[in-house]
Amino acid sequence: MCVGVPMKIVEIDYPMAVAEAKGVRRTISLMLLPENEVRVGDYVMVHVGNAIEKIDREAADEIWKALDEVLEVLDREEED
Amino acid sequence: MKEKVKEIVQAIKKLTPKKRKIKIMNVCGSHEHTITYYGLRSLMPENLELVPGPGCPVCVCSESDVINAIELSKRPDTILVTYGDMLRVPTRIGSIRSNGGNYRMVTAPHEVIKIAEENQNKLVVFFSIGFETTTAPTAAMIEAGIPENVKILTSQKLTPEIMEVLMNDSKVGVDAFIAPGHVSAIVGSNAWRIFPEKYGIPTVVAGFEPQNLLLAILRILYQIAEGRAEIENVYRGVVKPEGNRKAQGLMYKYFYKTAVNWRGIGYIPNSGLEIRPEYSEIDAKVFFELPEIEEEKVPGCICDRIVLGKAYPNECKLFSVACTPRNPKGPCMVSVEGACNIWYRFGRNER
Ligand code: SF4
Repeated sequence: MCVGVPMKIVEIDYPMAVAEAKGVRRTISLMLLPENEVRVGDYVMVHVGNAIEKIDREAADEIWKALDEVLEVLDREEED
Repeated sequence: MKEKVKEIVQAIKKLTPKKRKIKIMNVCGSHEHTITYYGLRSLMPENLELVPGPGCPVCVCSESDVINAIELSKRPDTILVTYGDMLRVPTRIGSIRSNGGNYRMVTAPHEVIKIAEENQNKLVVFFSIGFETTTAPTAAMIEAGIPENVKILTSQKLTPEIMEVLMNDSKVGVDAFIAPGHVSAIVGSNAWRIFPEKYGIPTVVAGFEPQNLLLAILRILYQIAEGRAEIENVYRGVVKPEGNRKAQGLMYKYFYKTAVNWRGIGYIPNSGLEIRPEYSEIDAKVFFELPEIEEEKVPGCICDRIVLGKAYPNECKLFSVACTPRNPKGPCMVSVEGACNIWYRFGRNER
């Protein structure tokens, strides 16, 4: 539940947006960030479907690399 | 990367005091996951202990809240909606799932709205549980506007406040905290200031990859060696000192700080959030006049002590014998953030 995932914003209809990570698209809420703070192409840290912080691309890449393995394990567990 | 890790581990070994034990607590299920999954404990010198603390919101949801949620799911006029981890939490009357009522799982609060719109003849109760990282999204959902048939059953806890309880408990004896990265993104790294300033406890905000966690441990050891106690942040690019002001504002617009019930522990003053009386029309506790049910402890389960860092999962007699993720006896075995669950799955390297 507390696993945060970096995502890239591909579409905005504030307060909702479509974000993408590793080819998977998801509707997220931008309500926790000020309206003009994020633009299409920005990266955000997403928690239970909400962008909680804007992050830069480098941070996003780094976190993704680390998360890959962890998420794989969690997914397998949840299917159980 | 491997080289870097080796370097950090060597520095950790060198800096760990030889004559006294150092206990570093993490308060985040994802930190405990990384520590256990990558076997970081086995890399630590003998005098350095990494202990999991209250990092699992599912584990500390009071039995009363879960029983109320179960009862609501069994009413003909309601649908209970919550996060997947909550569905299997055991109580004296079983779990939400085992009771077979009307329940749905969501991964984000805004999905509740869709369920409510599709079921206008039902009351949709969102069982909103968790620390700041889930509370702020619930507040965001309310701010965006919720249909009249949505009610919210809260079981929301605050991280800095429970950590302070640990400070005042002499049996825990924490020397330093690794502060949770994403909670910090909301509350800000300054929210932990009280620990170095009032209690002299070094506190380092960390992300979730092994190297970042090791770095946090190293920073803590430097502080201890130099007799300093400060806030440091190694999770750069995500956490700001002041945190997410808008998220904090929304949280306190709809919720207020008050005493809440922690499973196995009891009521702790100012340790959680409830819906403000101005918004009581969305508060399921008010709307359904839900009772406060006195807790019945699970015989043998020491989850409450594990959550407070007083015991490790393998000190429980039921651990991996009678209690497994498939057949959980206590809440710490259910959630993927629970220490028992994490240790069961990956705990080959614990000591
Ligand atoms: S192993 Fe099961 S019974 Fe024992 S403390 Fe953990 S959750 Fe409770």
